[in-house]
Amino acid sequence: MNGTVGGTVGGTVGGRVLREDAWGKVLGQAAFPADVRREGQIYAVAVRSPHAHARIRGLKLDEARKAEGVVAVLTSADVPHNGHGVLYRDQPVLVQDHVRMAGDPVVLVGAETLAEARTAAGLVEVDYEVLPGLFDPEEAMKEGVPALHPEIHGSTNIVYHLPVCKGNVAKGWAEAEVTVERDYQTQMLDHAFLQPEAVLAYVDERGHLVVEVATQYAHYDRGEIAHALGLKFNQVRVKTVSVGGAFGGREDISLQIMAALMAWRTLRPVKMENTREESFHSHSKRHPMRMHYKTGATRAGKLTVLEARIVGDAGAYASWSPNILRKAAIHATGPYEIPNVRVDAYAVLTNNPYTGAMRGFGAAQPVLAYESQMDLLARELGLSPMELRLRNICRVGSETATGQVLTGSVGMEECLKAVKSYLGEVSAR
Amino acid sequence: MKIELTVNGVARILEVEPEERLLDVLRERLHLTGTKEGCGEGECGACTVIMDGKTVNSCMVLAAQADGHAVTTIEGLGNRGSLHPVQKAFLEEGAVQCGFCTPGMVLSAKALLDRSPHPGKEQIAVAMSGNLCRCTGYDKILRAVERAAGEVKE
Amino acid sequence: MYYVRPETVAEVLEAGEKPGMLYLAGGTDLILKLRRQEVQARGLVDLQAVAELRRIRVEGDRLEIGAMVSFADLLNNDQVATEARALWLACRSMGAPQIRNQATLGGNLANCSPAADSLPALLVLQAQVRLLSHSGETLVPLAELLERTPLWPSGTLLAGFRLPLTGGASGFAKLGRRQALAIARLSAAVALREENGRASGVRLAFGAAGKRAFLSADLAEKLNGLVLDGGFTEVACREARKVISRALGERASAPYKREAVAGVVREALASVEFMKSGEGA
Ligand SMILES: Cc1cc2nc3c(=O)[nH]c(=O)nc-3n(C[C@H](O)[C@H](O)[C@H](O)COP(=O)(O)OP(=O)(O)OC[C@H]3O[C@@H](n4cnc5c(N)ncnc54)[C@H](O)[C@@H]3O)c2cc1C
Ligand code: FES
Ligand code: FES
Repeated sequence: MNGTVGGTVGGTVGGRVLREDAWGKVLGQAAFPADVRREGQIYAVAVRSPHAHARIRGLKLDEARKAEGVVAVLTSADVPHNGHGVLYRDQPVLVQDHVRMAGDPVVLVGAETLAEARTAAGLVEVDYEVLPGLFDPEEAMKEGVPALHPEIHGSTNIVYHLPVCKGNVAKGWAEAEVTVERDYQTQMLDHAFLQPEAVLAYVDERGHLVVEVATQYAHYDRGEIAHALGLKFNQVRVKTVSVGGAFGGREDISLQIMAALMAWRTLRPVKMENTREESFHSHSKRHPMRMHYKTGATRAGKLTVLEARIVGDAGAYASWSPNILRKAAIHATGPYEIPNVRVDAYAVLTNNPYTGAMRGFGAAQPVLAYESQMDLLARELGLSPMELRLRNICRVGSETATGQVLTGSVGMEECLKAVKSYLGEVSAR
Repeated sequence: MKIELTVNGVARILEVEPEERLLDVLRERLHLTGTKEGCGEGECGACTVIMDGKTVNSCMVLAAQADGHAVTTIEGLGNRGSLHPVQKAFLEEGAVQCGFCTPGMVLSAKALLDRSPHPGKEQIAVAMSGNLCRCTGYDKILRAVERAAGEVKE
Repeated sequence: MYYVRPETVAEVLEAGEKPGMLYLAGGTDLILKLRRQEVQARGLVDLQAVAELRRIRVEGDRLEIGAMVSFADLLNNDQVATEARALWLACRSMGAPQIRNQATLGGNLANCSPAADSLPALLVLQAQVRLLSHSGETLVPLAELLERTPLWPSGTLLAGFRLPLTGGASGFAKLGRRQALAIARLSAAVALREENGRASGVRLAFGAAGKRAFLSADLAEKLNGLVLDGGFTEVACREARKVISRALGERASAPYKREAVAGVVREALASVEFMKSGEGA
């Protein structure tokens, strides 16, 4: 080791520690999945749907199968159990007949070189019957609208609804002297982690399927791979190599099962590497949320009531949507104590890219709504935004909208006071 | 076609396809996988290498264009026994998180310091502006370059 | 596909005039297009070894810039920084260091994207373009060239740019989504002189407002002769909005750019050396 580079500086607690993995990273030695290789590896490429909603009428695979270097062309018929998902197995490994979002994988082509695999993938013909898409979650949740997953999620596109009720809303409105009612909307976001997904899958000397991947969730990946391929857990080993950023975007399955399937079927090591464009198609996004907020307060600046309706666009597959909309509902009141609350949070399936975990996990979006409401209320009341907050923030002993009494570690007041001097002009506005 | 180039000080004669990128040749033919592909479109800088003293995105250079030139990749900088000052500064400042941007960042910083050993903050920011990082928020990376600048001897 | 790297202009033309051959400069546009199969080539003629295409030099009262001069070369050139300020500023805002090290001025014109950063600057600097083919050399004003589609017959080599050294001042500003690696949403270049407190020789050009960069004759006419005081910038901004409105018509971006142009023009004017002191902006 280099003697001039220090280890821990300061004590064990509060000291500065050099990251162990940083050595390999500054030297360019850290192995990300695209960097690992095995003798005799082939390359697999997924053919993805350009349509957001379609029925597959047929596949023409002959040209691709005959193409130079092609080792195997696989379809849904080759997948023993064609589904995966963190909460519901509603996402196909390869689509059989119902495409639910642009980027859904339909056919998997394996060939000796990446270029051959891409060329052969270009020869696959998929006959799509394009269907009208559901792109607006408010529309998709209406009664009578065709359900996107009747087998798994029933006759509705609402995969989750959480009502949060506290106190008596009618009483809260009776007490309210000032009301602010607004609609807010956040956008879909991609994590854009810097390392596009890549996988190396192979069958080892013990006959076990090994999948080397950058993942946030190795044990889950193992379960889903085993399930999809009809293997036992102990036949599958997932090795997490260096992860080039994730931010929630590597919690779902992306290429893992496809690469594993190709390796299992061909008994060749299989490499899959997404281009940036494919990467955008193959992982979850942040939930766009529409938030209708109505907040009431007394002239004295005490919040009396909040009603909110939050609709999260789950996209084509459930992923973590229920958990995320739960979190949105729980955080809908923000760090404020409000005696009377009614929040309804929904996750709704559409034909948009599917949405899942991303930094904040549903707690980030409502901030826009509840903090904007506070600013607008402050204006109505002629109070500074800071003052209105100080009159309503949670303190030790406060009760949240879900009935939790906070017993410690509530730093909001301290925090506000600490930043106050920096906000002088803003709060005087 | 045949190309001759110097990679990390070693002369290489390679048989390549005219459409092959320098990035592919480094990664696939020479197994120098420290050079990363983040976008393949010149946007992210993860594939940055130094060619004749200047940084380029190796996803935007054909191997054929590099014929006759000298290329430095991250593997050509230091090792565990003797880190390059920039590598050392990245370690010490905690400028590394997932590490995928790191090789490109380190090379952009090296090229800057080779050219101007005592850059100002603004100059550093410009020199690093072609390298995206999704993890760190850049602050520690910029500080690492400043730290390295302090340690680089003329 | 095959690849050649000739060393003289004559050899370049001989290789480049064969069917299916494309010139390769830095490759920052072409390599992506080839990979995306947006263009096909039988072969590439790499221009990097032709020394005379890489030169920047003053010849008498003009500045000659070879087509293979990179954005980084331009940025490091004192003559360009002082005599062709608008171009220098455009180079500074272009791409990122890695791209500037590789991308060439010739490639920027030849590719001719609506947002090509150098073109508004070259327009206000009254650039003439040197074109070479087997039938000889021609010199075409850039403004005139930009009205032709295609810009030139295939096989033609763009050899370089000729900028008259007028001693006038110039500036450039670009609106992008961020500071580096941003394709222009809108850009503006301006050149002008001060004569007895009034503006003369005013030229204003816009990029990313329509299919190609263009000079606005209307705007020049409105601004020439105006007193260079605080009001000058206001008139320029107001008139620029009209020009952009007309250029963009019903395009989706029109409402945004109509508003944004005032800011871009204001910034372009403020980047002109003698306007900085505050009289103008
Ligand atoms: C990440 C990124 C960021 C970018 N940012 C910007 C930006 O901010 N502003 C901007 O304007 N552009 C930008 N570009 C686009 C590009 O870099 C420029 O247009 C550049 O000037 C192209 O030059 P080149 O030398 O790379 O051309 P090449 O890609 O080599 O060639 C482009 C085209 O011109 C032809 N050609 C080149 N030279 C000649 C010649 N001498 N005679 C005849 N034909 C010729 C080629 O055949 C080809 O068709 C960016 C590109 C990337 C990848
Ligand atoms: S991979 Fe080359 S710039 Fe992103
Ligand atoms: S450390 Fe992850 S992208 Fe920079």
